[in-house]
Amino acid sequence: MSSADASKKLEEIGKGMVQQINKGDGPTFETTLRTKSNTIFDESAGCLTTGSKKETRKFLSMAQARTFMQTVAIASKCKQFLKENLHTSIRGLFYQLKFTLGEDVDEDLFTEQSESNGLIEDIEVGLRIKREDLNLTTDRKGFVAGEMTILDKFGGDETIIDLAKQGRSGWSIPSDVDNGMEIKTIKAKYVLVVEKDALWQRLNEDKFWKKENCLLITPKGQSTRGTRRLLRKLADRGLPIYCLMDCDAWGWYIYWTIKTGSMNLAYLGHDFAVPEAKFLGVTMSDIKEFSFLDKLTIKAKDVDVKRAEEMLGYPWINRYPDWVRELKEVLKSRKKIEQDALQGQRLTFVGEYINQKIKNKEWLS
Amino acid sequence: MANATNEDIFKQFKEHSVAEFFKKNRQMLGFSGKVRSMTIIIHEFVTNSLDAAEEAGILPEIFVQIEVLDKEGDHYRITVKDNGPGIPKTHLGKALGQMLAGTKFHRYVQQRGQQGIGAAACTMFSYLTTGQKTRAVSCHKGKKLTADISLDFKTNRPIVEEVSEEDTTESGLMVVAEYKDVRYERSDYGVYEYLRRTALANPHTSITLVEPNTEKSVFPRSVEMNPKRPTEIKPHPLGISTHDLLEFAKHNSEYKKLSLFLINTFSRFSSGKVDELRAILPGFNFDKNPSDLEWHEAEQLVKAFAGVKWIAPATDSLVPIGKDQVELSFKNIFNPELVIITERPPKVYRGGIPFMVEAGIAYGGGLINAQKKGDVMRFANRVPLLFDSSGCAITNMIKSIDWKRYDVRAFEEEPIAVLVNVVSVHVPYTSAGKQAISSEEDLEIEIKNAVMEAARSIQRYLSGKRKASDLANKKKLVSRYVSQLSGDLSSLSGEKREKIEKTLRYIIETKYSSEMGVDDEEAKDIKAAEKAKKEEAESEGDSDE
Repeated sequence: MSSADASKKLEEIGKGMVQQINKGDGPTFETTLRTKSNTIFDESAGCLTTGSKKETRKFLSMAQARTFMQTVAIASKCKQFLKENLHTSIRGLFYQLKFTLGEDVDEDLFTEQSESNGLIEDIEVGLRIKREDLNLTTDRKGFVAGEMTILDKFGGDETIIDLAKQGRSGWSIPSDVDNGMEIKTIKAKYVLVVEKDALWQRLNEDKFWKKENCLLITPKGQSTRGTRRLLRKLADRGLPIYCLMDCDAWGWYIYWTIKTGSMNLAYLGHDFAVPEAKFLGVTMSDIKEFSFLDKLTIKAKDVDVKRAEEMLGYPWINRYPDWVRELKEVLKSRKKIEQDALQGQRLTFVGEYINQKIKNKEWLS
Repeated sequence: MANATNEDIFKQFKEHSVAEFFKKNRQMLGFSGKVRSMTIIIHEFVTNSLDAAEEAGILPEIFVQIEVLDKEGDHYRITVKDNGPGIPKTHLGKALGQMLAGTKFHRYVQQRGQQGIGAAACTMFSYLTTGQKTRAVSCHKGKKLTADISLDFKTNRPIVEEVSEEDTTESGLMVVAEYKDVRYERSDYGVYEYLRRTALANPHTSITLVEPNTEKSVFPRSVEMNPKRPTEIKPHPLGISTHDLLEFAKHNSEYKKLSLFLINTFSRFSSGKVDELRAILPGFNFDKNPSDLEWHEAEQLVKAFAGVKWIAPATDSLVPIGKDQVELSFKNIFNPELVIITERPPKVYRGGIPFMVEAGIAYGGGLINAQKKGDVMRFANRVPLLFDSSGCAITNMIKSIDWKRYDVRAFEEEPIAVLVNVVSVHVPYTSAGKQAISSEEDLEIEIKNAVMEAARSIQRYLSGKRKASDLANKKKLVSRYVSQLSGDLSSLSGEKREKIEKTLRYIIETKYSSEMGVDDEEAKDIKAAEKAKKEEAESEGDSDE
């Protein structure tokens, strides 16, 4: 969404409220309810999304007056950012709005950042607009290496960035990959997402992405909004997305967040989820297939077992028979295994492993 | 009895020999604990003074002085002076030096003390703890008699040493005595609180207290008229115990035949009733001399009484403090925001004893600054009950009420005072200390109903008040945010800020109140939803960003 479009949306919501006031009503603001009960799985799109339950926030209410005022203050502030074409973090926004209401009111507009964070989500939901489009930045974490070039318009400059020439550190995925940034060329044939930076560095050293012509990405744990948007855009260009994670609660969680989106950001599910993503490993069947792995397993912790049990209950997971089998195996064996274990025999084994799995289509869908 | 002369009253003195017993069991009279002992002494003298003055048609004026005599604060001199009729020379010794010798025991009438053990017990207590005699100065019918009184424990006979006798124009009784094993303090159980409450329940009384630190407090009279005198009635057969029956029989000298004694001593008793009793107790000798009545016979009789149908006793003998008087007292002492007093007709307990419950609730105002919140003030025949509150029917009934139903959210933290006065010719105390009312079912129900009746009025008042203040609060709260919101709406929409703000303020002032009711319910739902959402996020441990 262009900043002009975002500005227009903000203006419209403001005008709507003023109209309500002019008609003699208290201003209201409608958003979609962001509760667990209003989170549903969109089967056709393959992602989590919000249901149809709406809630109306009112200014003329004891319980809501303050948050209503705060929400409008955030909207107004974001409109200013867009006008000035300046970006800031949600923490920067909080400080912009942390002032006392003044006159005879001895009260701060915001006192805690936790107050503003939730209201930013309200605006995202209510206006159907992502925070990135409101010039709010998020933290960066992920890295990419591979045959792809990007045009980055930033600070008045236009720079072509070659992701194959980023040396040992890779290209750091920005918080917003939609505004002021476009993919120019892609030679890579698929995307490989590895959970940990350590494994990314290992594969980067082997020039794995060059040999196999892929984009090597690590989200460094849970994916940022920027990383997930980039993966979505790459999938949109028809690139297969393969994920290599730990075989444990955290690894599964990172994968499923990429694939179906999270409950927290269900309202952005369609923009963020990558249902095409495949889980390459590490899997329980790998332990049988590669005998050396058997000695490198770890006893599953309570959290892993509990997570596996929960996952079996989610309709968006238990619709895949291979995942049901995998999780039942975890519950039976009570074992888990880290992706780092693949280096147990030989450091370069990881590459062979990946190739074999992709070639034989040995993944969990 | 209203027109009885003093001599008539004192003719009714009867003798008992119980001094020795009480010497060993003084806690039964309430002399347990130093603070309590002092309050009990004051209580005995003050109730006597009030009864005597009222009976003589004099507006009571009572002066109490407490002096500490040693450094340890254990040795005191207590002076109680009244403006009553005084006591004639012939009865002074008996009144102050003989256990159970008062005028009250044999009279079936609503009175403050029910058993005349009070004043003599104080004389005894003084003598036991200090070895001193009690000085009495009685101004009666133009004579001022000064005497020192002690008692012979063995024979229960008073020892009176006359000091002087002179002419006077005054009337009244002054008693001065020293005590050890007592202590003065200004607590919930102390003399100050006792006199304050006495003044509350006796608005026709003026009380002055001089404390050991010489601080002088006056509880002024707020009603210039003595209460109506309660009438003396004959006891109802269903209201007496075996012991009562024996006592009445022992003190009877008029009737030589049991049947005549019964008919003439108790109310609703006719020869027809004696015949009914004869049918229940065949072979029982109703012609015997009442003074020969044995315990087991009395027991049989009392049991038989329960099997006969009696007309309920007359209840017009009871005199409450009165709605207006309690209200006036409450206002005088607490200056509360609201006073509710209930006025309820007399009832009967145990089928034979008339009683009446007065309940009053004071709320807010001066009580907001009062030290004690959720104050329960118990009275029996206008006498404050300070001790043994946990075993008292009044306390228990007040506690059993679900105060939240009456918009009193936390009874013990609210600026509320509840007064309950139980009026009866025979108040069922739990012990001779007369500090708690026992749990008679009829009595308990009536106490609860009386308090709840008052509480309903309080509730109506509070909920109305709360609604008004809630609405004002809501308007105030929302108005705080109008300025900021208008500014932001202006920058979002491009409309003029002043116009937005003016319109919004107008909406709040006019339309707002009607919208609120619905709003609150919705707000609750959303709050709950937000809470659920928050918990969910926490349990998920998400870190999308």
